[in-house]
Amino acid sequence: MSEGKESNLPRRRFLKLGVGAVGGALGLGYLGLTGDFLRPPSELSKPLQVVGKIGDFSVASPTLVAYQSSGGSEGVYVTNLGDGGWLALDFHCTHLQCPVDWYDATKQYICPCHGGTYDINGNVLGGPPPHPLPRRVIKIEGDSVLVGGRLV
Amino acid sequence: MKWLDERLGLSELMAGIFEHPVHKKSNFLDYLGFATLYVFINQAVTGMLLATVYKPSSTEAWASIKALQASAVGGYVRSLHSWGANFMVVLVVLHLLRVYYEGAYKKPRELTWIAGGILLLGTLGLAFTGYLLPWDQEGYWATTVGTAMAEYVPGIGDYVVRVLRNGAQVTGDTLTRFYSVHMLLLPVVVLFAFMVHFFFVLRQGMSSTDALLAAKQQGKNIESMSIPFWPNVAFRMILLVLVTAAALWVLAGVFPKGLGDAADPLNKNKFIPQPAWYFFGVYQLLKYFPGKLDIAAMVGVPLVGLIALFALPRIDRNPSRLPQKRPIALAIGVVLSAGMVFLTYQGYKSVPKPLPTNMVSHPSYARNINPIFQSKCVACHGQSGGYSLETYTGAIQKNIAPGNPDASKIIQRLEGKLQPQMPLGQEPLTKDQIQTIKNWIQDGAPNN
Repeated sequence: MSEGKESNLPRRRFLKLGVGAVGGALGLGYLGLTGDFLRPPSELSKPLQVVGKIGDFSVASPTLVAYQSSGGSEGVYVTNLGDGGWLALDFHCTHLQCPVDWYDATKQYICPCHGGTYDINGNVLGGPPPHPLPRRVIKIEGDSVLVGGRLV
Repeated sequence: MKWLDERLGLSELMAGIFEHPVHKKSNFLDYLGFATLYVFINQAVTGMLLATVYKPSSTEAWASIKALQASAVGGYVRSLHSWGANFMVVLVVLHLLRVYYEGAYKKPRELTWIAGGILLLGTLGLAFTGYLLPWDQEGYWATTVGTAMAEYVPGIGDYVVRVLRNGAQVTGDTLTRFYSVHMLLLPVVVLFAFMVHFFFVLRQGMSSTDALLAAKQQGKNIESMSIPFWPNVAFRMILLVLVTAAALWVLAGVFPKGLGDAADPLNKNKFIPQPAWYFFGVYQLLKYFPGKLDIAAMVGVPLVGLIALFALPRIDRNPSRLPQKRPIALAIGVVLSAGMVFLTYQGYKSVPKPLPTNMVSHPSYARNINPIFQSKCVACHGQSGGYSLETYTGAIQKNIAPGNPDASKIIQRLEGKLQPQMPLGQEPLTKDQIQTIKNWIQDGAPNN
């Protein structure tokens, strides 16, 4: 070897750095792929879907309909509020997402898990829920009622 | 053997593992980790068998398990896997408590403890993700509620929930995600953490051997205070495994794991979600943290627990491992364990259960009446709401006229004479159940 010890050291340092840099870059690349892959689909991109005819929904009487997504059905309460327009509410309680039921007798949504209650507009009346029931996009086209993704 | 030895020097390696003395005081509580390893192997074997018939999609998963249940062996293998999950959670926790009591997490075994912490989380993660896979109502709604808890993480809660579920709700996309985590990610994490954990134990020996080494250094003859690992201690370990296996096999056979109705995201049959038993504690805790404090139970307590778990070797600087010299650490341990047991028991008590349907002429509040209230009423009439049936004092505050059942509003509601009939939206109580409550009120609604 013609080179002395001193001139060899920076080269080794360079090689060590190279090992670390290549390993790190590869790792970051896979991490980036993972992050992108696991990103959940956007709620706003959910297409509008016909869930019934106007005539199916009598005024002030919430009806549970199924919104078909790629992975199965999603429960949505659709309400014809008369002059107040139309309302689509996700049927998962905002406390821990148990499914709420509409009771005509008390005019309330009631959650069977911890007794959360909501009014017809989905506003909290009592119990542990921290927020109103989430609203979903709703649209009337002709005499068809269409429901879309969650309004965030 | 000789052939391998020439090439790999195996006998040297084996000697390191098998030929060392163990303190005579070592008892079966020191082998809980080994019993856990056995159950993990049970999970691996039965899990691989289940994977040969399971169809991981929301349209086929339930039917594939239903078909499996039709064969006796298939049903038994699934029962072994399901019971094994419970055994694993229990054994890991017992092992942790033993190590905590012995102070074995202290220097130089901090990293063994931390690898153990990862194993604990991996075990819970496997139990949680596995619960969804049969795609029945129980698993579907437990997963919905379980993942919903992450919503309470400040700022990013909503995003975390959607990442966990691969969408806003639990759907077939969630099932695929849980399947891959349950089958690939977590087993790899657990296996890797286990190898690290096990390597450290082999390298450093169990904490009870430290006393032997110290004695040896002082020049004492340790023969009299020790027994050889191979085969004496190993035999005791395999006995513990045998007892564990026998318990697992018998329980799996006597109480076979059932399969509920197929998951229905619209919940047309009004199934009431219930937590898996290891969530009973949190479930109960939620009742003590009303309203805005929910975040404390769902994020605060688990976060503090997590930090405490991994930072324990740093938090506890007391160098002594003798139980009598660690009063504070042991007191905290006892209080926390007792608290967990208490919460789990309370949670278990208040989960709706099938009630006896026969009529009782002179019922006792504790034995006959309170169970009906707990399972049918307190979900709504608990801590919140105007009328609480959670405790005796709350129940008799109003709506009950001692000695006069027909004048008691609670009876009128239950019979539907006063609308709306209770329990709201569910099947009314049976005639006999209502009569039992009537008899109790007739007797003066005593706290007996």
